[in-house]
Amino acid sequence: MGIGKVAVRRGVNAIFLICLVTIINFFLFRVMPGDPVAMMASPSITAEVRKILLHKFGLDRPLHVQFIKYIQQLSQGNMGLSFVYQRPVVELIAERLPNTILLLLSSYIITVILSIVLGLVAAWKRGGKMDISLLIFSLWMHSMPIFWLGGLLLLFFSVQLDMFPVIGISTPWLVHENIFSYISDVAYHLFLPMMTLGIGNIGGMFLITRNSLLDVFSEDYVTTARSIGLSDRTILFRNVLRNAMLPLVTVIMMRLGFIIGGAVTTETVFSWPGVGLLIYRAVMQEDYPLLQGAFLIITVSAVLANYIAEIIYGYLDPRVRYE
Amino acid sequence: MILQSVKLKGYKKSISNFWNQYSESRMGLLGVAILLFFVLVSVFAEVLAPYPIGAREGDRGAILKPPSGKYVLGTDELGRDLLSILIHGGRVSLTIGFLATLVTAMIGTFVGVTAGYFGGKTEEILMRFTDVLLVIPGLPLMIVLASIMGATFWNIILVIGIRGWTGTARVLRAQVLSLKEKPFVESAKAIGASDARIIGRHILPNVLPLIVAQMVLRIGSSILSASSLSFLGLGDPTHLSWGMTLHYAFGVGSLFSNFYWYLVPPGVCIALVVLAFSFVGYAFDQIVNPRIRRR
Repeated sequence: MGIGKVAVRRGVNAIFLICLVTIINFFLFRVMPGDPVAMMASPSITAEVRKILLHKFGLDRPLHVQFIKYIQQLSQGNMGLSFVYQRPVVELIAERLPNTILLLLSSYIITVILSIVLGLVAAWKRGGKMDISLLIFSLWMHSMPIFWLGGLLLLFFSVQLDMFPVIGISTPWLVHENIFSYISDVAYHLFLPMMTLGIGNIGGMFLITRNSLLDVFSEDYVTTARSIGLSDRTILFRNVLRNAMLPLVTVIMMRLGFIIGGAVTTETVFSWPGVGLLIYRAVMQEDYPLLQGAFLIITVSAVLANYIAEIIYGYLDPRVRYE
Repeated sequence: MILQSVKLKGYKKSISNFWNQYSESRMGLLGVAILLFFVLVSVFAEVLAPYPIGAREGDRGAILKPPSGKYVLGTDELGRDLLSILIHGGRVSLTIGFLATLVTAMIGTFVGVTAGYFGGKTEEILMRFTDVLLVIPGLPLMIVLASIMGATFWNIILVIGIRGWTGTARVLRAQVLSLKEKPFVESAKAIGASDARIIGRHILPNVLPLIVAQMVLRIGSSILSASSLSFLGLGDPTHLSWGMTLHYAFGVGSLFSNFYWYLVPPGVCIALVVLAFSFVGYAFDQIVNPRIRRR
């Protein structure tokens, strides 16, 4: 079976998941206790206005009609209107999605690089002083609430030392002479939230890299390589890293969906204008169409990331293809 | 009667065996010590807290004051003693963490055992559902559920429980699959024991240690989830947990006014408790997981 077939088969599964998630997303927001109108309008409205509102949002029709309508609108890229912003939900999310992707990817690169380097250092001398200290360090990182870590970094570096900007993604009202000054401004704003997420996510990742490297270190071919006197460097690059790549890449891709949660709180701490901050605002202001739209986008993104992970895995591991 | 006492002895012996192995791990012992400390403080919160926190109003003359002799950890925006709030907050956070994990254990056990024991279509549907839940990012799902259901004490527990059971279900299913083939289950079947009896009498007692291990591994992340939800405003304001305290600390602008005494202690406590659970879980794993032991 070729890689194309794997892509198709996993693709069907991904589409199935997306459909399921869409359906769940619809019904979740319909089964909520109470009256949907009560949540979108002030409780003091008259019965007359209530009726008009119910009709306007199609909430007076039977559930299956509402569902068909929802799917129709969704297929046209319509997720409804945000109560608070009075703008299409799709627009609001589209504006902020790139910011979230920037934050997630840059922080994730930091997590991955640090975990692999530290994982190697730890696995090289298993049970040594270095291994134990790194283990405790990573468990500590894993134990801290990420938003709290972000808050402390912000308090110390931005407020006390005044080294970094306090909020946002760029300096407001600053007119940039050229694109480079804009990029450096954004990078300057990005640094702390990126480090927060990057370091905050090390805990789990480090343990996984360390363990999968340990697995390889205990393989017979590494012992053989050692016994025939190959240098540490050769063993490391030729035997260990190459064989550890496969599980690592999978885990790295699989966890991409997992780190989204940390992004919501980190964006909130740093007022980073991404989808996470949008979710926070939607929750605070009970803006349900916005919350529903943002949740759908996030789950679909997670399914897609997962799908890409499966394709890469299939590409790297021939066993998947010939199953 | 005789059978039961033999069984009890067996349990006792395996527990003391387990403890002998466990106590060799310094990390594990440290974890237990930290947890013991926090549990004791929570249990005796009323006695230990220097001030009662029931009152809505604190010391009007000491609002947001840094640590002093009178208020060891300073005061909050209502002039309340933060040390007392911290001591009581531990009780709430630990309770939420424990109960939410209990919910995950119950759902996970039900799904895992049902899927593993009955197999076939039941298994396929249940495990497919588990996979779907695994793909959906955890915190966003909990945020949506909590804001739909309303962020009350019990709803928060339920929401965390609803999200967290997938791992337990998978582990238990695998274990039940292998238990099903064991002679004592097959002989019970042969003499006509009902499914309920087999599960209750033979399967559940055998997977109990595994359920406990899973709970130890989960409870830290339950506490972290609860604190993230609280931080985002999805906590029960009538139950002042560590996460809720942090929510208020951020809310009054601790970051910009440098109210470090408000911001630092609750986070340290959360991290210490979660770390302690990780230590215990790690030590547990060293004993239970044969793959690690081998190396």
